[in-house]
Amino acid sequence: MTLLQMLSFADTGWGMALLKAALMTLLLTLAALLIGALVGSVIAAAKLSRRRVWRWLGDAYSILFRGIPELLLIYLFYFGGASVVSAAHHWLGGDGYVDVPPFLVGAIAVGLISASYQAEVYRGAFIAVAKGELEAALAIGMGRAMRIRRVLMPQIWRYALPGLGNVWQMSLKDSALISVIGLVELMRASQVAAGSTHQYFTFYIVGGACYLILTGLSGRVFNFAEARVQRTQRRNPAQS
Amino acid sequence: MSTHVQAALSVANIHKAFGAAQVLKGISLDAHKGDVISILGASGSGKSTFLRCINLLETPDEGRIVLDGETIEMKRHRDGRLLPGSNRQVEAMRSKLGMVFQSFNLWSHMTVLQNVIEGPMRVLKRARAECVEEAEHLLHKVGLYDHRDYYPAHLSGGQQQRVAIARALAMNPQVMLFDEPTSALDPELVGEVLRVMRALAEEGRTMLVVTHEMGFARHVSNRVVFMQGGQIDCEGTPSELFEGLPTERFRQFVSSHQQRNHE
Amino acid sequence: MIDFAFMSDTLLKLLGALPTTLTLFFSSLALGLLLALVVVAMRVSRWPLLSYPARFYIMLFRGTPLLIQMFLIYYGLGQFPAVRHSVLWVVLKSPYGCAVISLALCTAGYTAEIIRGGLQSVPRGQIEAGQAVGMSRWTLLWRVIGPITLRQALPAYSTEAVLLVKSTALASLVTVWDVTGVAQQIIQRTYRTMEVFICAALIYLVLNFLVVRAVAWVEHRLSPHLRERPLGAPGKPTPETAPHS
Repeated sequence: MTLLQMLSFADTGWGMALLKAALMTLLLTLAALLIGALVGSVIAAAKLSRRRVWRWLGDAYSILFRGIPELLLIYLFYFGGASVVSAAHHWLGGDGYVDVPPFLVGAIAVGLISASYQAEVYRGAFIAVAKGELEAALAIGMGRAMRIRRVLMPQIWRYALPGLGNVWQMSLKDSALISVIGLVELMRASQVAAGSTHQYFTFYIVGGACYLILTGLSGRVFNFAEARVQRTQRRNPAQS
Repeated sequence: MSTHVQAALSVANIHKAFGAAQVLKGISLDAHKGDVISILGASGSGKSTFLRCINLLETPDEGRIVLDGETIEMKRHRDGRLLPGSNRQVEAMRSKLGMVFQSFNLWSHMTVLQNVIEGPMRVLKRARAECVEEAEHLLHKVGLYDHRDYYPAHLSGGQQQRVAIARALAMNPQVMLFDEPTSALDPELVGEVLRVMRALAEEGRTMLVVTHEMGFARHVSNRVVFMQGGQIDCEGTPSELFEGLPTERFRQFVSSHQQRNHE
Repeated sequence: MIDFAFMSDTLLKLLGALPTTLTLFFSSLALGLLLALVVVAMRVSRWPLLSYPARFYIMLFRGTPLLIQMFLIYYGLGQFPAVRHSVLWVVLKSPYGCAVISLALCTAGYTAEIIRGGLQSVPRGQIEAGQAVGMSRWTLLWRVIGPITLRQALPAYSTEAVLLVKSTALASLVTVWDVTGVAQQIIQRTYRTMEVFICAALIYLVLNFLVVRAVAWVEHRLSPHLRERPLGAPGKPTPETAPHS
């Protein structure tokens, strides 16, 4: 088979499979980003808390999720998740071993790792806003809710976007690890294609190129978004 | 200017442009041994650029530099710019010119003593013990011997500038170049640096000083050069200039600078 | 509830794989640093024929997952008879060799950018001061630019070293029996995920803690100028010690 035939979108080629897999990678990363945003902002709030217990918990989360290999965490969620689900299944009267959906496990695992990095991004952005603008809002007597809605929320994105871009790229690459639990995303699809055609080199190069396109394009999207946020900030200098 | 006495430093016809902006339009200057020349001028007149062209921190587009009878070789690049002909010669020339910067530029990772001995040891390849002895002597002279193990971050601006002067002196330069040495200092720290510079002048050091300190120009230097728009507007002894006020521009410049005198 | 006998048995088994993880880490760290120095030297070159390949290298290795790089080297290169018959095959035929090479190639891309950041932070004035005393380019690099760059780059390098420790876990996917590989094996045999995970995680956390402390120690040693003033020397930096002459 020629290279073009192998990569074609027809039934005999792997083009369609790779395209679907690339979409799966994007979807997984997006889900992880959202989970990470949710958990990450909670962790950021904990780190910024005045209560020492919360700060301690926030720091512990960071140390664990940034210090343990991603692969090990994925194993924990996959095998651990399966045991928990099976136990629940037994308790409800079922029997046998129940698998957990790999997409869910992957999104949670990559998402929780992403959360530990996103927390740092949000914390930094909060401090940056708090230093100037939030104090200004306090000075003119804005209430807490208004401060958050009128000053913090619009401003925090400006400071958080560059960091979020980096976290996104990181999650995109981490998502490749979900291939080990059988989710057919880009990495797994490349593996399957490489294995069944014995064209390992070709398909890992093609897979790598797809990742490059994804990271390159999403880098552009983030740059564009950053430029947008900066511009609107300049257009409305007075937020209060 | 007498031509049979060789100048310690002679620069001729220096031109320099940054993009479309013509910053230096043909400056020539001779410094004889023991001369203390103050270079005055409003900001943007090109006086700092001129000083930086002398030791080739900026490469002039045109011009000739002769240090102690030795002409610095320049070659012309394909696109018309001048480039130093030999790095070796430029390095040797720079080691004979002491430079003191506006923002001190002490090496932040070295102590005061290390800053002073670095040049003699690494460039002049002299023995360490000899360099340390010399450096300690110089640090005594600028009043910072007790601070020899401090790092620059632990010193005030005035102290850093005095170290920078000692660092330049340690190379035993033939000419000292001062690029606005007191402009970055708090007013109360200017005096200590000017006192050191005055002492050097009295020792007979050859010095080129770009400055805003009218008192220094008037009372310490033996020649004053006033630059305006990338050219020399007028020059002469301090009394010729400050009492004669030869040009309208210089008169305006003097009257707009309240005569500060730190002595 | 906790089976201490099983835990200690697992911990011992995992510690048996620790030397593999450690040598993976140190050899790819050293190799990656060397490579990064070459890449960054090319990257900051004014000559486009050098700087563009370096840019491409950095984009390639930072823009794709390490796993696919590792698989490409382990499975992909062996596909070519030319590679199998070359001297490189001595290294490339072993999973361990492939793991070290791909870890080093990948970390070199990130490290090059870290070093470049450090280079850019060297104050222009301190370089000019070196030029002004007549330092040659090598003296300047060795005495001024190098030390300042090193100090500036260390915090980021510490983060990169931690990422590299974690990345060594991927070697288990090309059949290197490192800590993660052995952990995965035990999990699949015993289904006691939590206990095995705790033991393995503990090993990596301690390892990362030591890496961070080691780099912080080097950083501390290299930045006496950011610490307190030397003891015994006169007090505040005031102009009280006026020039003598």
